[in-house]
Amino acid sequence: MSLPPEYANPPLPEGINVTRTHPLADFARLLGGVAVVVVAVVGVSAVAAAHLARFVPFSAEAAAVQRFERVFPEAGGGPVEPWLRDLTARIAAASRLPSGMTVTVHYVQEPTVNAFATLGGHVVMYAGLLEKLESENAVAMVLAHEVAHVKLRHPASTLGRGLVLGLALTLVSTATGSDMVGNVLGPAGLLTVLSFSRRQEREADEAAAGALATLYGHTGGAPDLFRAIEVQRTGGSPPAFLSTHPLDAERIAAVESLARARGWPTTGATRPVPPDVRAAVRRATERAAPGVVD
Amino acid sequence: MDHFNLIVFLGLLLLGYVAGRIAESRHYRSIRQREAELGDVLVFASRFPPDFRVRPQTLVGGSVVVGEDYFKSIVAALQKLVGGRLKSYETLLDRARREAVLRMKEEARQKGASMVVNVKFQTFSIPGRNPNSLRAVEVLAYGTALGPAMPRG
Repeated sequence: MSLPPEYANPPLPEGINVTRTHPLADFARLLGGVAVVVVAVVGVSAVAAAHLARFVPFSAEAAAVQRFERVFPEAGGGPVEPWLRDLTARIAAASRLPSGMTVTVHYVQEPTVNAFATLGGHVVMYAGLLEKLESENAVAMVLAHEVAHVKLRHPASTLGRGLVLGLALTLVSTATGSDMVGNVLGPAGLLTVLSFSRRQEREADEAAAGALATLYGHTGGAPDLFRAIEVQRTGGSPPAFLSTHPLDAERIAAVESLARARGWPTTGATRPVPPDVRAAVRRATERAAPGVVD
Repeated sequence: MDHFNLIVFLGLLLLGYVAGRIAESRHYRSIRQREAELGDVLVFASRFPPDFRVRPQTLVGGSVVVGEDYFKSIVAALQKLVGGRLKSYETLLDRARREAVLRMKEEARQKGASMVVNVKFQTFSIPGRNPNSLRAVEVLAYGTALGPAMPRG
């Protein structure tokens, strides 16, 4: 069978329908490019949101969280809560809170070694941390640190940053249509959302040391807090860059150098925690299950 | 627990890349070999036979369903953000088209035909419009197989 010359199937050159790029090079180029843009945009927005959130009036923040206030434990009676409230009031005065800003302290009868400040000026103190602190000055350092977070609007900043990161995560996941992107980035992003940054912690430490100096005339007792936390941490401290809180030794040194710069004495007479408060705290922590300091 | 998802992700990415590369190079080897073997079954896009002698005609077709591997899907997801060629899918569809033609040629040869005219391609997205379902595409090649010319008489 002889066919006309146009009826032929000449062999086609290989690779005319594919782009000759190594898949890994393609992947690296895309990932690098997208990561640079996403990180830059999200980073700038998150910083802007964290900064702008401080300008939300404190009254609006307090009103927004009012309906969540039942999550905080009610005063259970006993000597601890009135003592904490009184101490917090004195610290708030020494910290020179802006007018209209109020701090409410809550005492939780659990052995967790922790204390934290959150939206609306709420400060939560766990029995586990109180039990480790022998002087009123050390307890005041904890409370002043948390009051400083409130004063510096750190909870609002952190929420602003968290909202931006959450939104960015949703957008990237939706844009790529891949759940895995969210699953991978989600927990990593959440870590930065839920905690104050190390810079915020350092700011709070500095403000707290100032309040302590105003209240007692010296910053003695602050190192007791950091030492108590350090003993608490078992299995070695994580490297500084992994932890949201600066390392305890670093925090002691930072407070001491600040005190020297400002001319505050670093030692002085400390007041003990009242015996009835200590006894009540010890009863609350009898079922010991140590937690982590935040 | 935070790293669990990351490890799963990287594991799937590596699996997708290695398995995908091995499968691709094996498939291309097989495609080239069978294209040489089936070179005497000619295919034409033209609707018309080369001459107007009477021949037996029959419909022949070859169909391939091709799915992406995990690595390709991630590369494509990233590419989707910036646009441009979805390079990771190009080899996939190139293989699917050539495989579909080969299967069509095999059918034509089984039916005693030496050429296929009016060859056309069709594709069908397996998940349709549901984006969360399996992502795969069918490539179908079909045409009219022509048998040897009947003796005139």
